[in-house]
Amino acid sequence: MSTAGPDFPELVPTARSMSPGDFAGKTFRSQSGVEARVQYGNKAFDKTMDLEYSNITEANAALIHDHYLACNGTLYYFNLLQKPKSGNETFHINDQSGSTSNRYSATPFGLKYRYAEPPQFNSVKTGRMSVTVKLIGVLDS
Amino acid sequence: MTYYSGKDGTLTYNGTVVAKVSNWSISATVDTLETTVLADSDRTYVPGLRTSSGSATIFYYDEAAKPLLERIIKTSTVSESDILVIKLGWDTKLIQGSCIITSAELSCAVGEVMQASIQFQFTGAPTGVTL
Repeated sequence: MSTAGPDFPELVPTARSMSPGDFAGKTFRSQSGVEARVQYGNKAFDKTMDLEYSNITEANAALIHDHYLACNGTLYYFNLLQKPKSGNETFHINDQSGSTSNRYSATPFGLKYRYAEPPQFNSVKTGRMSVTVKLIGVLDS
Repeated sequence: MTYYSGKDGTLTYNGTVVAKVSNWSISATVDTLETTVLADSDRTYVPGLRTSSGSATIFYYDEAAKPLLERIIKTSTVSESDILVIKLGWDTKLIQGSCIITSAELSCAVGEVMQASIQFQFTGAPTGVTL
């Protein structure tokens, strides 16, 4: 089991994109084109969540930067609380439960979020920055 | 209460009044940086960078327009030494700042008084404003 880092900062993103990942399996294709698929696992993995924060204050950008370091970069997993997942209240039903209707969450699907890569910080003007965060939901050992 | 008109206006560069100015204008804009986030129903913004620029038309009377035109119409390259302090004044009021002449046009046509048109871009904040 990997180490847990602190919760991700409670910041509502400007834009968010998510891909639910895929199940482990292998596809075999014969010369005739007929395809057979073998499933190796019962959980989708490598769920991706990209969060964009445009023109946020330097203080909020610092929260993300420091959180990344507190998670030892891409090593520790962490929880996404409510605000990073807010905004699609029927797609993502109730953040407080472990239901699979919480589609932006990782835990209901047996996954844990960690940083997929270091976040990118762009300076916009004095006091304002834009940050891009890429997360990946992995099956934790 | 006082109205102002063209007879109150002046254009000054580096402390020298430019003669025979027909008109000048200035425009200032501020970029907006969008801070709208998911679940917001109305867009929100914060102020971004400010841009100030202006233009002037000067009759080519003697060499009235020469000091401004020769900032870019010349044989040597344009450098930082061509940055001017331009003051747009009317009565006791003024807008002043460091400017780069970004455009200089000289027109000569039959039946018209020869005149020069310049456009300038402020660099940095205005150093003096009295509105």
